[in-house]
Amino acid sequence: MMAVRSQAGVADDGEGGELAFEHVSHHYVSGGRRTDVLADVSFAVGAGSVACVVGPSGCGKSTLLSLAAGLQRPASGSVRWQGEAVRLGPNHHLGMAFQQPGLFPWMTVRQNVAVGLRTRGQGKRDAHRIADEFLETVGLGDFADAYPAHLSGGMAQRVGIARALALRPKLLLLDEPFAAVDAFTRLKLQGELKTLLRLHRPTVVFVTHDVSEAIVVGDAIVVMSQRPASVQRIFEVQPEDRKRASPSYARKLAEVLDCLGVHSEGDAGG
Amino acid sequence: MIGAEEGRRRDVRKRLLLGLGGVLVIAALWQGTIFAYELPLVVLPSPWRVIEALLTLVRTSAFWKDVGVSLMEFAGGYLIGGVLGIAAGLLLAESRSARMTATPVVEALRFVVPFAWIPLTVLWFGTSYLGKLVLVAYAVFFVMLVSTARSIGQVEPTLSRVGTMLGMGRWQLAMRVHLRAAAPSIASAARAAAAIGWIAVVAAEYVGASAGLGLMITNAATSLATPVVIAGMIVIGGVGAAVSAVVRWLSRAWLDYR
Repeated sequence: MMAVRSQAGVADDGEGGELAFEHVSHHYVSGGRRTDVLADVSFAVGAGSVACVVGPSGCGKSTLLSLAAGLQRPASGSVRWQGEAVRLGPNHHLGMAFQQPGLFPWMTVRQNVAVGLRTRGQGKRDAHRIADEFLETVGLGDFADAYPAHLSGGMAQRVGIARALALRPKLLLLDEPFAAVDAFTRLKLQGELKTLLRLHRPTVVFVTHDVSEAIVVGDAIVVMSQRPASVQRIFEVQPEDRKRASPSYARKLAEVLDCLGVHSEGDAGG
Repeated sequence: MIGAEEGRRRDVRKRLLLGLGGVLVIAALWQGTIFAYELPLVVLPSPWRVIEALLTLVRTSAFWKDVGVSLMEFAGGYLIGGVLGIAAGLLLAESRSARMTATPVVEALRFVVPFAWIPLTVLWFGTSYLGKLVLVAYAVFFVMLVSTARSIGQVEPTLSRVGTMLGMGRWQLAMRVHLRAAAPSIASAARAAAAIGWIAVVAAEYVGASAGLGLMITNAATSLATPVVIAGMIVIGGVGAAVSAVVRWLSRAWLDYR
């Protein structure tokens, strides 16, 4: 089974555990038609590691996260967290940021970030204090009292990220969290995220369209094929690759893009 | 260029003048019909006679007692029917087996309008307060049941997934997310239900009552006091509009987060 391991070495005392997809297949049935989304996906993300999942649009990356979060049960195969099958329904070890922010419109931004903490037993004052901290981290400290209706798409998405991070989960699932955010803010948030991940070391599955982002943030890049998707290849990311100015970054970028079927300019015309 | 403040003032003025104009047109048509067909008082009293009757009514205590009785019947039935309807709607939206159990019964009863039940309610409850209350509650219940179930079904799926991810169990999700998210839509249905409930009260009183606006009107009709009949109809309309406005004000005050 292909595995994603962090750079920190074998003995990991971070918060995360191992997440494993074992021969996971999944499909949707709609209007009598069956759509196969995942076909025999197998890989493991080691404790405290960051796995960046990239692949063509609609190839089931979101479904992978949904299965890991226990929001759905796989049609076949199993998803295991720390050796045990992930339970359907609420799971307190994980936090997830969805593609649509899904903020509760009747709550302020601060309350939205705090609600998960309160559901999991935290007191109101502590929850609000922690919420404010994480809002500061994503750059929205001034908007804590605003309502979601007043936020732009990118801002709402950032609140969703803060909400997931504030849970300090052992398993962090991010579904294209920076898709709606502008380029500058994206770079800043990537940096913030990496700092936070170094601090708490959860196990992370990060779905993204942006390969350069995947190289900078991930310990490894899991490349998925077209639907029905399976794992095409896993690229390990070395520390030198993360420096955007380095030749190894450019090489890695070209390698991954090639795997995705996107060829660099040098190849044009034969 | 018209400034915002001036524009607003003009808008209010326009609304008042045009509204008044509309009423005057109706009054003119009314009076015109009486002249054209030489209608006697009993058949169609003039607007002025109706206003006279209205002013007289407003000074009698029996009238206010009737209004009070009708409102009490409405309020009791509305609250009971509303709360039960929302609760049942929530249950049906959340539980597939509940839905399957209830659907045949609901679909069968839904279209049996309250009026159709009046002979039975008079038989069971006589002309008492309870009978009207049951009728109003029945009417309001089905409106709220169907709209609540529908509103909850239309809640954005992502919100459910978020709630589950955050750690909410099934019923926590139902109460804290689904109901709350569907609240504006449910409040809108509550306004419609208020109108339906009020209509049900008056209709029930026409048929079998010991007090209330409907009874007052039927009594007046029996004694050919047509101005009172029409005055009573105006009161019905006015109270109905007032009730609707109160429900709207309450729901806005509670749900104003947009």
